[in-house]
Amino acid sequence: MTYSSSLSIGRQRFSRRNQNSVTFKKESLRLGPVSNSVVLIILACLLGLVYLTQVTKTNAYSYQIRSLQTEQKSLKDERDELEVASARLQALDTIKNNAQSQSLVSVAPSSTIQN
Amino acid sequence: MITRPHQNTNKPKKSLSFVRISFWHGSLILIFTIFISRLFYLQVIKHDFYQKVALSGQLKQYDIPAERGIIRAHDGSNIVPIVLNEKRFNVIADPKLIKDTQKTAEILAPAIDKKTEDVKGQLSHNTRYEILAKKLTKDQIEKVNKLDLIGVFADEIPVRTYPQGSLASQLLGFVDDGLLGKYGIEQYLDKTLSGTPGRLKAITDQKGVPLLAVGDNISIDPIEGDDVVLTVDIGMQRQLEDILKSGLEYAKSESGSALIMEVNTGAVKAMANYPTYDPTDFSKVEDSKLFTNAAVSSPLEVGSVMKPLTTAAALQLGVINKNTTYYDPSRFRVDDINITNIEEDGGAGTRSIADILQLSLNTGATWLLMQMGGGTINEQARVSWYNFMVNKYGFGSLTGIQQGYETGGTIPDPKIGFGLNIQFANTAFGQGMTATPLQMGAALASVINGGTYYKPSLVDKTISKDGKVNVVAPQIVRSNVVSKSVSQEMQELMQYVVSKNNISAVRKGYMVGGKTGTAEIPKKEGGYYNDRFNGTYIGFVGGKTPEYVIVVRVNEPKIAGYAGAQAAAPIFSKLSNMLIDNFNISPM
Repeated sequence: MTYSSSLSIGRQRFSRRNQNSVTFKKESLRLGPVSNSVVLIILACLLGLVYLTQVTKTNAYSYQIRSLQTEQKSLKDERDELEVASARLQALDTIKNNAQSQSLVSVAPSSTIQN
Repeated sequence: MITRPHQNTNKPKKSLSFVRISFWHGSLILIFTIFISRLFYLQVIKHDFYQKVALSGQLKQYDIPAERGIIRAHDGSNIVPIVLNEKRFNVIADPKLIKDTQKTAEILAPAIDKKTEDVKGQLSHNTRYEILAKKLTKDQIEKVNKLDLIGVFADEIPVRTYPQGSLASQLLGFVDDGLLGKYGIEQYLDKTLSGTPGRLKAITDQKGVPLLAVGDNISIDPIEGDDVVLTVDIGMQRQLEDILKSGLEYAKSESGSALIMEVNTGAVKAMANYPTYDPTDFSKVEDSKLFTNAAVSSPLEVGSVMKPLTTAAALQLGVINKNTTYYDPSRFRVDDINITNIEEDGGAGTRSIADILQLSLNTGATWLLMQMGGGTINEQARVSWYNFMVNKYGFGSLTGIQQGYETGGTIPDPKIGFGLNIQFANTAFGQGMTATPLQMGAALASVINGGTYYKPSLVDKTISKDGKVNVVAPQIVRSNVVSKSVSQEMQELMQYVVSKNNISAVRKGYMVGGKTGTAEIPKKEGGYYNDRFNGTYIGFVGGKTPEYVIVVRVNEPKIAGYAGAQAAAPIFSKLSNMLIDNFNISPM
């Protein structure tokens, strides 16, 4: 088969009576009804997907917020514990009974002087 | 119809491919129609049903508890916390989830410091919620959590903690398991301290995390409770409690009260009762009377400590002056009842105003009342004295101090009743009427500070969590209780009494004045016991001007001698010396 004969076989597919078989103009691509439906469905699904991704992304912030809140609470609890521990160490009974206080001598007068 | 030459005008035959395409097109539409119909059914027709089902699992709504405010007090020039919050944990079990109660009990009991049989018994209960242990510390609950037992959980609870132990316990009060303040400051300022809980109503995920994308979520942050700074100085409070306790032991008394108040502001710097309790262990207290602050809740017939107030009233009314003398017959008969003095006061004779206080003459106090009536006890005298007691000194009414269960005491009506003259004669020396130690202190302060009655107060300021400070300024309830000159005279008279009767309280360079009281205890059926007395003492201490009022009460001391002089006066002396030695009173 020659090149020109293969071309001619190819053209025969389009041949009809009175058909110009020398030059051909491609018909513009048109979407049929099925294609239209499929494209619409795909677009709808894409839209749904976009919505889902946005909602998921927004909700993901909830976890970040929760994580930060948990950390904040943990730090606050730690601060409160330290404040309690500090108050206990400074309690009068604790100071009174510690070894350093035991060795202190009172300077309050033990009697009064009256003229 | 447009035709062309040689055009086949018969109905064109549809090609196979067109049929196939149409078939699949139709199938696609059918399938999606089914989907959409089903979705419509689920999401529109059955919307309410599925929304309910979803919400029941996803919707979480609960109150977010607000943190309770901290209570602070003075420690010299510093402010220190004396009541704080601590996170503790309850160990909860769901017996329905526990398959092997024996094994679980054996593992869990040592961690929560309980007997295995007790824990097993609780795990065998037919309930979904069993509290196995309360108020465990963080370290203890970590041990429990490490055991990783099915059906056993930890529940975080806020608990009040008192680093100073039993210091000022009745004044502070406590918070019960329902997080309500009981007694003392915790009760009175419960609303201020507890704040406002927040609210969360949100769609959550499986773990309970609120989902931001849901627009209807309600999240209201809690408003934390305000911190309260008391007027109390913990150093002074501790000293007062120690001196009171040792004084009561010396006097062989089982209970008593004492307080120290600033003369020129009404600020209570220390207030204590004995016996006391540890607010951390309030649930172990068997007698609920221990919770009450007797200094504000337990009025008593105050006895001779009333005499300075009677004297001040007579001076203010102008019926006497400080140099007035009178003939004391050593006995007055009023409404067929004899009013007499103690033996040590001697017999009849000329007495001065100073003698009435120094010798603690009941007849002297009666005579003062008579002068208010123009020479006899009559309605004029009763009304004048009643007016002073109620409208000047504030007896019979609440002072409004920030304490739960404050009591106002009782004053007899001057016009209604029987035996009014003898009743009012009694009130002139502190019998036949009742008042609390706090009322006595506030009244004396108004007499010796120039005549201003300040509302007693325990609160210096409140501080909100966002830093807003609300200072509680001294509140003048009334002025001109007595004139400045009468106030000066009363200072001198009471200092004279101390110089004669209570030498141990005298300090050179300082003014110390006071008066004892030995009050008979009334019987429930009427009359008084012959052998039961309360000892009281009111006084003041200062440098150039009086700075502190001190009130002491000793209940039924068993020590020999007069209760006021032998039991209450030594406590007063130690307190006045303590104030001079430790609390920056500038000498004259």
